[in-house]
Amino acid sequence: MRRQVPLILCFVFGIVMIFTQFIPHSLSQSLHQEVRQWYLIIFPFALVFSSIALIRTHVMRIRRRTEHWRYSFLIFIGILMMVVIGVPFGPQHHVFEWLFNNVQVPMDATMFSLLAFFIASAAYRAFRARTLEASLLLVTALIVMLGNVPVGDLVWNTVFAWLPWENATSGMKQWILDNPNLSARRGIILGISLGVISQSIRIILGIERSYLGGGD
Amino acid sequence: MSKTIQCVVVCLVLCVSLAFSQGLSPPSNVTAMDTPNDDGSSVTIKWDAAPEDSGISGYQILRRIAGGGLEEIGEMLPAGATSYVDATIEKGNAYAYIVRAVSGTEATVDSNETAPAKGTGEWFHTGKIPLFVAMIVFSIAVMVSIYHARSGQEVFIRRIPGLEAVNEAIGRATEMGRSILYVLGLGGVSGAATIASMNILGQVARRTADYETPLHVPCNDPIVMNVVREMVKAAYLNEGRPDAYNEENIFFLTDSQFAYAAGVDGIMLREKPAAIFLQGTFYAESLILAETGNSIGAIQIAGTDSEHQLPFLITACDYTLIGEELYTASAYLSKEPMLLGSIRGQDWGKMIIFAAIVLGVILELAGISWITTLLQRVS
Repeated sequence: MRRQVPLILCFVFGIVMIFTQFIPHSLSQSLHQEVRQWYLIIFPFALVFSSIALIRTHVMRIRRRTEHWRYSFLIFIGILMMVVIGVPFGPQHHVFEWLFNNVQVPMDATMFSLLAFFIASAAYRAFRARTLEASLLLVTALIVMLGNVPVGDLVWNTVFAWLPWENATSGMKQWILDNPNLSARRGIILGISLGVISQSIRIILGIERSYLGGGD
Repeated sequence: MSKTIQCVVVCLVLCVSLAFSQGLSPPSNVTAMDTPNDDGSSVTIKWDAAPEDSGISGYQILRRIAGGGLEEIGEMLPAGATSYVDATIEKGNAYAYIVRAVSGTEATVDSNETAPAKGTGEWFHTGKIPLFVAMIVFSIAVMVSIYHARSGQEVFIRRIPGLEAVNEAIGRATEMGRSILYVLGLGGVSGAATIASMNILGQVARRTADYETPLHVPCNDPIVMNVVREMVKAAYLNEGRPDAYNEENIFFLTDSQFAYAAGVDGIMLREKPAAIFLQGTFYAESLILAETGNSIGAIQIAGTDSEHQLPFLITACDYTLIGEELYTASAYLSKEPMLLGSIRGQDWGKMIIFAAIVLGVILELAGISWITTLLQRVS
């Protein structure tokens, strides 16, 4: 019974939600909205459970004195500060806003900035011309990179001024993005779409039960 | 004398206004009808395009509810407009419309009033018929394949190296006595990629339960965390190893994108997991996670439907499930015939699309744009 109820619910709601996509009538659309509202109602409860789990994890780390346990205090300081200011005064309060703009935003930006270095190290590994495919990748990447900066066209127009093609670097870049790149992406998107439909059918029909922990 | 002057002035004003209004003809063929394929909350008004030299600078729509006065609705429409959707109607009321042409000198001329029109909700979106048919055909293909697989017919599935490596990765972690880190990405529980990722996690959890390998799952979404906890717990129970399940290993980190990336990176560097699974929806943080995993020497198996992140994951990970492979993973790992059958159905769908593309290209070359028109109508 514990297994059958979720399967029945999944089947009924799966079929109903598919049909709401094809029925524009207000009854169907309000049902669709209603179910979406349920999701929004579940979210705060799940957030409370998750926050409790987070606090428990860090309390245990402090108790057990695991490696870097002192950092767990930072979690509690952060939570306390935001709750003490945010709950009574709201997110528009100037101290809350100051903390968000001067602590969280710069830290997010720092993490995002790291991406530049990671791209460089990943590109170094990917573009080593050791095989034919890697060499093709290298040449393509060079064209796209040069096409993205004004100096690419400037170099082309200066060095290859005798050729009839002006601004060819950006032209080649655009051709690569519009043809081989877009074709490959669309192929992947088609496969993904079919995969999603196939997965949905498996779940709705109760064939796919991994989300219930597997088994019969 | 003064009366004569007054008469002259009045005549002049009349002549001037007549001269200006003469070039302005009223909008013709004005019709109001229920907007097709909606929930009955709008009425569409259409009229013929005015000639370019008509002097019209815009249109104002006026509406009259039965027995009421005229009211202006919406902003002034540009001169080229030929239709307007009034989405401010009240259901059940009938409305009549007038389209007022306005010239550059603010002179106006009204069209005839349309017959009253009501908004009616439709029970089927006729514009989605091709989509509905495609969905039915594809669903039948999948179900027929499942039926064949169920009757014992062997299903051939090509080898997917990324999925073959799952057991290898779990075995490696077990032999090294280290943990496995499973990252579900930033998608919510309703995301198809997250669901696919949870299905793979179900299979991974069954094996980690058998091998008693610690499995860490940092979550970005509170609902995902709760679902995953229940799912992994059920997997351990099904394997007869409830004692090996540790709830604390599946935890909520944060819902902020880069804070999550920083948290997962920290776990990677501290715990040094032997195997890392990056399965689900990823954005800019994909490379930050994958490169950090690469730097600690973990075997990394990635899979995502975010096609923009695929190049990053392919570069930094040992194996990457590209697009649809993510959705076949659960079936591939479980080896259950019925699940494998659905993958064959998926391939039939691909064959149909491929055939449609080839046929479309041939027809376009022959000057017949039937398939292109059909697809444009669907989109």
